[in-house]
Amino acid sequence: MRAPPQHRLRRLRRRPPPGPLDYGRHLWMRLTMLATFVFLYAPIITLVAFSFNDSRRNVVWRGFTVKYYLKAWHNDGLIEAFTNSLTIAVISTAVSTVIGAMVALQLWRFRFPFKGAYEGGMALPIVIPEICMGVAMLAFFSRTYWPTDLIWPFNLSAIIIAHISFSFPFVAVVVRARLASFNREFEEAAKDLGASEWRVLRDVLLPHMAPGLVAGALLAFTLSLDDFVITFFTSGPDTVTFPVKIYSMVRFSVTPEVNAASAVLIAITLALTATAMFLQNRAGQKMR
Amino acid sequence: MDNWRKNPRVFWILSAPPALWLLGFFLLPLALIWAYSFGHKEGIIGIAISWTPDNYLRALDPLYLQIFLKSFWFAGMTTAVCLIVALPVSLAITFAPARWKALLLVLVILPFWTNLLIRTYALIAVLRTRGFLNAGLESVWDSVDGVARAVGLDGLGAFTPPQLLYNNFAVVFGLVYVHLPFMVLPLYAALDRMDRSHLEASLDLGAGQFRTFFSITVPLAMPGILSGVVITFIPALGSFLTPDLLGGTESQMIANVIERQFKSANDWPFGSALSFILMYITFFALALRAFFSRGRSAMDT
Amino acid sequence: MNSMKKTQSPANRGRRAFLAALSGAGVAAAGLRFSPALAAEEKKLNFYNWDTYIGETTLDDFKAASGIEVKMDLFADNDELFAKLREGNPGYDLIVPTNDYVERMIKTGMLQPLDHALIPNRRNLDPNFRDAQFDPGRKYSMPYMWGTIGIGYRKSKVRGTPDSWKWLYDSDRYAGRIALLGDSSTIFQMAFKYLGHSLNTANPAHFAEAERMVIKQKPHIKAFADDNGQDLLAAGDVDLTMEWNGDILQVMEEDDDIAYTVPREGGLLWQDCLCIPTGAPRPLNAHRFIDYILDAEAGKLIAEFIYYATPNKAARDLASAEYSRNSNIFPPDSVVANSETALYLGEDVQRMYDEGWTRINAA
Repeated sequence: MRAPPQHRLRRLRRRPPPGPLDYGRHLWMRLTMLATFVFLYAPIITLVAFSFNDSRRNVVWRGFTVKYYLKAWHNDGLIEAFTNSLTIAVISTAVSTVIGAMVALQLWRFRFPFKGAYEGGMALPIVIPEICMGVAMLAFFSRTYWPTDLIWPFNLSAIIIAHISFSFPFVAVVVRARLASFNREFEEAAKDLGASEWRVLRDVLLPHMAPGLVAGALLAFTLSLDDFVITFFTSGPDTVTFPVKIYSMVRFSVTPEVNAASAVLIAITLALTATAMFLQNRAGQKMR
Repeated sequence: MDNWRKNPRVFWILSAPPALWLLGFFLLPLALIWAYSFGHKEGIIGIAISWTPDNYLRALDPLYLQIFLKSFWFAGMTTAVCLIVALPVSLAITFAPARWKALLLVLVILPFWTNLLIRTYALIAVLRTRGFLNAGLESVWDSVDGVARAVGLDGLGAFTPPQLLYNNFAVVFGLVYVHLPFMVLPLYAALDRMDRSHLEASLDLGAGQFRTFFSITVPLAMPGILSGVVITFIPALGSFLTPDLLGGTESQMIANVIERQFKSANDWPFGSALSFILMYITFFALALRAFFSRGRSAMDT
Repeated sequence: MNSMKKTQSPANRGRRAFLAALSGAGVAAAGLRFSPALAAEEKKLNFYNWDTYIGETTLDDFKAASGIEVKMDLFADNDELFAKLREGNPGYDLIVPTNDYVERMIKTGMLQPLDHALIPNRRNLDPNFRDAQFDPGRKYSMPYMWGTIGIGYRKSKVRGTPDSWKWLYDSDRYAGRIALLGDSSTIFQMAFKYLGHSLNTANPAHFAEAERMVIKQKPHIKAFADDNGQDLLAAGDVDLTMEWNGDILQVMEEDDDIAYTVPREGGLLWQDCLCIPTGAPRPLNAHRFIDYILDAEAGKLIAEFIYYATPNKAARDLASAEYSRNSNIFPPDSVVANSETALYLGEDVQRMYDEGWTRINAA
């Protein structure tokens, strides 16, 4: 994570001491960040540590073992649930980011009758208690005789639909907050220069929306990956997801096996992110 | 803002897919539950929709009103603490060098890709009477105690671990832990690549960091703050796992009661009515917000 | 396996016919309905069970014996199971509800009758379990495991044996070191036992009395544990907790200082049952699996692994003395005599449990 020393030196020489706006280089800011990360990661570190605990539960340390990693690896149900969860999260994030961005654009750009009510309706999925939405989905899918015995991944459709329904409003809220800072003169200038609606969207609006889209997609992915309640009510015997599996395993006692699976999940995400950033950096350097 | 008639084609392309989705896959299922809230139980699982207001009247019992109030208090505290923590964090991410930005963002969100239940149990392991936090405090206490004795003062006495779990403090702590990204992400989205010249101008004109923060940064971040408050407060209001696992004997929130209606109490009509009351209230608050922000933007333009 | 062949003996067939006749026409009709499908069922079974509630090799052994692949999914509590199956069965063949829920599900039509002719290993059951108040004639359920709810405690922190519910419900001796099960019905049922009422009382005065007592005791209670009281006990957060015997037994394995007792007023006797939900796609496979579980050898392997009391007498006889003579698993007769099994008392009583529990939490 730290840059090599000579690199740092070079940078120090090139740049004066922290300017008033280099918040990231102020001591108090760094301390706040540090405290936040300790707060966020202390439980995670505990969790990883206990995945090596030679006990059936996570309460008292009883010696080091890796057997729970092997056990998690051989637990087909866990791996299947894991695959289902990732599939659902990826598809529902993609769809809800698109739909959410559309809502944000529409609400930001247009004035239309009953806009307030429409906006409120779009916020309903955020407002509704999870369990109520879960039951609504259960009743809905069983009343419409939604097919549940299709082949994978189509048997996940009910869960994916439910996930999109509760995630896209979150994306919309975040993207809309981003759009608030857009200077519409750019759009008008582009149009004056003869750009079509589509080109304006692609070349002017989307680049501005990007941080909002990233934040919204991250949020949607997180919501989907971690949802238990609504998924529980929409899943069947062949469509168990990771949280549903974990939930029923953990209710009696958290076994190190669950921790091991989570630790692997964290490691995979870290590795993927690191690779992506490495590739991005290299591409950036080549361009230069 | 354009009138939709100015460009109906774009308007419909943008609005049709989300509107149809919402209608088919959300409002329709929701309508079922809404109808249940006016029904009564028949036998064990039958629900007859008789358009009776009984479920709503039952919810007006002071017992439930008191639980509603308590839930608002918990959610409000959570939102406030999240905002205080998230503002500096998202500012730091915004002003971080570009290549660090992605990493910091991922580091903030990463813990939340671990299952909520597992995270909550891990939090319990940190906070419990003989947990890691208390173990850390105890060793600090003991060394201070040792030093004090060494220089001839009275010691601090034996360490009594503070009770960090199974009370209302633990609930707010846990809720903040669970909902922090809901505040960080919209703030980051609103602040990223903001026009620094405003801040520079403010500093050049002699306003201190503090004043610049409150009179320039916060207003710039306002849309993000409002979004963050909405998407933190509302989900926090509907939490039931956190109060269940971290709370003491009086940490019941309204979502716990709602959850029980759909499970052990097996009273779907009443559960539906409670859910809808929660929704009416938040809906009203959102409408109020929309009303006020519209008033302001009308003045701006 | 061996026992499967044994079931074909003529003596058994005679008894089977007798029992089938006893269990009534409905079952016989059901048996007829199943038969044509015999060849058609695919070799698969969706088993909806509690976590860690099956032998280590049971599913593999069953596959070797029958060719049927069991896919086990997990649920965390009866209420979840009930809520999920309420609107229709999404494809489960075999479920494991607890006695009062068996009764409730029978009354709702959520279970389908068993064909006793297909479960010859029923003869392995202890006579006490061949019939049940909650399912007369065992038309819908076969017992799987049973146990008690009592008090788990830390020996070094408790004076003597806490052999009364008083120490949890009506005393400040262990103030701040007590956890109760955060379950609306259980908390009332155990209070009723302490107050000298039947666990199955529906008398509003008894409810009010119990509620007053718990509210008065609240300052001394550390937490209403959400089925994790054993963890609180093991971690030292509390020294006494109301819990299921099996949960306490698990932590006793790793901590000698923990013990379990059922108070002298008596506790709750529970029984988890194997049932086939209405609409199960493969009822024949489910019968076959039930029969396999009731087999002596298979039952022994399950019981010795999960350490709950088996109603399967043949299995218990085969099992090691360490298991079969363990008084924490098989409580002494005096405890059983004092304890009661919860009955399903109707939706009104369910509402009294819930409203009382809401008031206790809000007080």
